[in-house]
Amino acid sequence: MSKPSDDPVVLLQRCAAGDRAAFRLLYAGWSSRLHGIALRITRQSALAADATHDAFVQLWQQAGRFDPDRGSPEAWMIGLVRYRALDIVRRQSREVPGYEGDEREDESPDALARLVSTSEGAALQRCLNALEAERRRLVVLAFVEGLSHSELAARLSQPLGTIKSTIRRSLVALRACLAA
Amino acid sequence: MSDDQDRDLLAAEYVLGSLEAGEREQAELLLATDPEFARSVAAWQQRLTPLATVIAPVAPAPELWGRIEASIAPPTADVLPFRRHIRFWQATTAGALAIAASLAAFILLHQPVPTRLAMLSPMAGGAPVLLATAEPNGTLTVRPTAGLSVPSDKDLELWALPTGATRPQSLGVLPASGRQLTASLAANTQLLVSLEPKGGSPTGQPTGPVLYGGWLTSIDPSRG
Repeated sequence: MSKPSDDPVVLLQRCAAGDRAAFRLLYAGWSSRLHGIALRITRQSALAADATHDAFVQLWQQAGRFDPDRGSPEAWMIGLVRYRALDIVRRQSREVPGYEGDEREDESPDALARLVSTSEGAALQRCLNALEAERRRLVVLAFVEGLSHSELAARLSQPLGTIKSTIRRSLVALRACLAA
Repeated sequence: MSDDQDRDLLAAEYVLGSLEAGEREQAELLLATDPEFARSVAAWQQRLTPLATVIAPVAPAPELWGRIEASIAPPTADVLPFRRHIRFWQATTAGALAIAASLAAFILLHQPVPTRLAMLSPMAGGAPVLLATAEPNGTLTVRPTAGLSVPSDKDLELWALPTGATRPQSLGVLPASGRQLTASLAANTQLLVSLEPKGGSPTGQPTGPVLYGGWLTSIDPSRG
């Protein structure tokens, strides 16, 4: 994982003031992470590039709206690229499956173990591990690949209603666990 | 389950990424208009984002940076003298520059200065793409401030949604090049643009995603 070469909170504040050098540093530090995330959701490099482009343009234009009291710069920036990628794939009503990657690698204990690198990640990992394996898998698939309820239902051959209620229950459980 | 909890779960599903297209549009509309919902979204982003660390970084193509730089290039119009007239907008964003450039054009061309304007931005966030100006005589002018691409089998449709109203009122199809029309708009009105079948919504209500929106804001360029 690439680390920003400077504190992103400061860089975002400098972007808000129109400092292009700070923007360049943010791009250097974060573009690979954001692009990787976009690629997992869009599954096509051209679409991922569009999402990454849009996210950075939005970052530049809205850096002043980032509020460190509400969350980390990482969560804010990753949110930008994920929502743009999700907008793109939802608009395209993408053709389901055909994805060559092995999504299971994300659910393996090794992959989730990477979460513990931060205290928040460690808490999320503990709470994900408290979920049944099937529920954990749904949450990870939805977040990492941006699969919609209906896509998850198709992927897991389960009724849509079951998927929806399972996800809601999992989110309620995560919220309670993370607040504990 | 209370409404608050329902709202919070909608925020959770929005952040998780599992909502269908229509539900996402709904969530984005809430995100743009409901501060409480925006707080829920921020809290869920904070909870779930560590999951993104399981995704391997992939460097974008080298030319992407150039594309981004081109997209954030400042407009060339000399707009600085007009900045002080637009206190209602923090003058550092592209939106402010677009507004200032437009006001400058009105003044330079000796056109009637509008009394209300709205910057219409993507509901999901991002720079304004349309500028709407309303004159006291009811003339409403809507012009793109960025290139708009509309699928050839679709049309954009403009809607007015006054505060308190539950259903938007159609102001007709909006060409990507903009349009001028006459409309009587209430004081607190949000303008929305949805993507509709060719010729506009067949139902009189938006049937496609609401793409852009913004509030009409009173301005008084004589006050500086």
